[in-house]
Amino acid sequence: MIQAIDLTKRYEDNLLALDHLNLNIQSSQIYCLLGANGAGKTTTINLFFNFIEPTSGTATINGRDCTKEPLEAKKYAAYVSENVMLYGNFTASQNLDFFTKLAGRKDLKKEDYHMVMRQVGLPERAFEQRVKTFSKGMRQKLGIAIAILKQAPTLLLDEPTAGLDPKAAADFIELLFKLRNEGKAILMSTHDVFRAKEVADKVGIMKEGVLIMERSREELLHEDLEKLYLKYMEVS
Amino acid sequence: MLSSIMKKEILENILSYRFPLFLLICAVLIVSSLYVHYLDYSKRVSDYNEQIRLAGDALASSRMADIHFGAIPLKGFRPPAPLSIFAAGFESSLPRFYDFQADGFKEGETSVGDESVLSIFGQFDFLFIVQMVISLIVLLFASDLIAGEKELGTLRGILSNSVPRNSLLMGKLLGGYVSVWMPFVITFLLGVILLSVTSFPLSDSGIIARVILVFVSASLFILAYFTLGLTVSTSSSRARTALVAILLVWIFFQLVVPKLSDMVASVAYPIRTETVVSMQKFFIVKALDEEKGKLLGRQFEAIFGKGYPLSNNLEPAAKRDEWNSYKTQLEQQYRERKAEQLRNLEDSHSREKQDQQAIASNLSLISPSAAFTRFLTDVCGTGEIDKQKYLDAVKVHQQTLDAALYSHVSKTTIIFPGGGTASSSSINEFVDIKTLPSFSVGRASLSEVFAGNMGSLISLVFWLIAPFAVAYVRFLNYDVR
Repeated sequence: MIQAIDLTKRYEDNLLALDHLNLNIQSSQIYCLLGANGAGKTTTINLFFNFIEPTSGTATINGRDCTKEPLEAKKYAAYVSENVMLYGNFTASQNLDFFTKLAGRKDLKKEDYHMVMRQVGLPERAFEQRVKTFSKGMRQKLGIAIAILKQAPTLLLDEPTAGLDPKAAADFIELLFKLRNEGKAILMSTHDVFRAKEVADKVGIMKEGVLIMERSREELLHEDLEKLYLKYMEVS
Repeated sequence: MLSSIMKKEILENILSYRFPLFLLICAVLIVSSLYVHYLDYSKRVSDYNEQIRLAGDALASSRMADIHFGAIPLKGFRPPAPLSIFAAGFESSLPRFYDFQADGFKEGETSVGDESVLSIFGQFDFLFIVQMVISLIVLLFASDLIAGEKELGTLRGILSNSVPRNSLLMGKLLGGYVSVWMPFVITFLLGVILLSVTSFPLSDSGIIARVILVFVSASLFILAYFTLGLTVSTSSSRARTALVAILLVWIFFQLVVPKLSDMVASVAYPIRTETVVSMQKFFIVKALDEEKGKLLGRQFEAIFGKGYPLSNNLEPAAKRDEWNSYKTQLEQQYRERKAEQLRNLEDSHSREKQDQQAIASNLSLISPSAAFTRFLTDVCGTGEIDKQKYLDAVKVHQQTLDAALYSHVSKTTIIFPGGGTASSSSINEFVDIKTLPSFSVGRASLSEVFAGNMGSLISLVFWLIAPFAVAYVRFLNYDVR
């Protein structure tokens, strides 16, 4: 579903942001990319959405090449960023309406928006409230609602729980499991080792653009992920 | 896709405080400016009618001989241009009338003398409002068009969907433009409705067509500036950076280029001033009159002998006929020489001015504002084309009066070889003033306006296409990090 083959990105200033990354995420699987700032996690997601072009290698979503057929590939992927940015003067419903129309969902009604907002845990009073009054957690939930309504088979999440309070983060994780159970392939970048261990079916650790370690949930039953992470981070 | 982006852009603008503020500014400025200028135009029309009546009365009460000899000049008045309420242009700096006399025409007073020093800021007319105020507001609207989305992070959200970048750019351009165009349309229509309930000659032939042209050209000008703003916004990663860049662009195109082009042209291609040309004309006339006077003096002494008194009863008749024949021929000859030399001088000066103006004009076309100003003033009959037409009409009228009236008057100055001088004036044939054609100035037709503004139109089209092309290329290759 989500695949990277020797994916490499070198910027104009010669910075090697991603070095021959290989990933393969199947449906009903949550893959957590762990790494420090600048490890290449966001670059990876940027390449899948064709926000930037790779120097070499291939990124595919649902078998579609993200560089050669970006518009086709993006049909099968939904995106939630660390800070879900929305239009502050629009209400939650208006934001949903705009972004879902961009996602090609023109058949949706206000009731559908309300239903999905309930599903992600937004309070009823917020539905027709301007988003500029929303907390970060509420924005994040609305971002998830947009992703859900896109009904894409894959989800790419860029540090989605950063800055969320524990309750909001727990709700989010619960929602993530639900989406996995619906058969979605999920790639989530995060700093949070504990959260990764909790949700991931597979964990990858990145350092300076290189995927230096990969473990499945089963393998991690016998290992301490935090120790592994710190160990790999310390190796120069 | 395009319609979703356009709708979002329009809705976002309408929901922001900027939209009602812009609507209010447009309503106050455009409507009040049109109304105030309409009042001013009405006053100028009534002044014009009163001046024509008074000039007619003055002629009726004057001695015919004074009119023939040019002691009482014939006046030619220029009617106010109705569409000067949209663009004043040269309206106040052109002479309200010209005096026509035997020795040529002279400029009458202008409206500039009635104005205070504050007039150096220019007329606060529709042209000024669109060119200076709306263009700036439009650029400010456009400044965060793309840079704002980048800064806010919503660009990533949009582009994570199957949205072609060209559709996004086009949707934002059209949606944003409609948002700023709507207040302009509403207030322009309000202004025109207001004019239609006054005595403004809106239904006169050609006026409506020109008002529509004013509207269309202003709309295109606003679009050109909006596109320019889009380009700057696309090239900036932050809305504040875009804002600063946009202010610099505005200053360059609005204030620097139009003023600098005139200065550069005058430095690169200096020409004689009007005062110098006027003095040169004076010396030509003086030299020819002296030359003619000396020839007449020599011939007079040759025919009548030294010391013969110059009077109307020259005797004998044969000598008188010989003298009159010589005098008539010489006067005709010198009248033609004088006219030719003055015409040559005026033509060469006119060519110099045209060349200098062409340099200034071509330089200024770098700026869409200059192109818009030239086109709009010509559409409104207050631009360079109508200024030239006025001057041409004055020259033609002077020639008509010379042939029909002043050629029947002879003023002779004789300079005798011994140093004495004698002058005589005579009217060969009295002309009924009422039979003389009255002065009239034709307005430039729309085809003349278009033909004379090809450069301006090309410049406007260029500023519509080129910035969008740059924005398109930059946005297509932009890395969304």
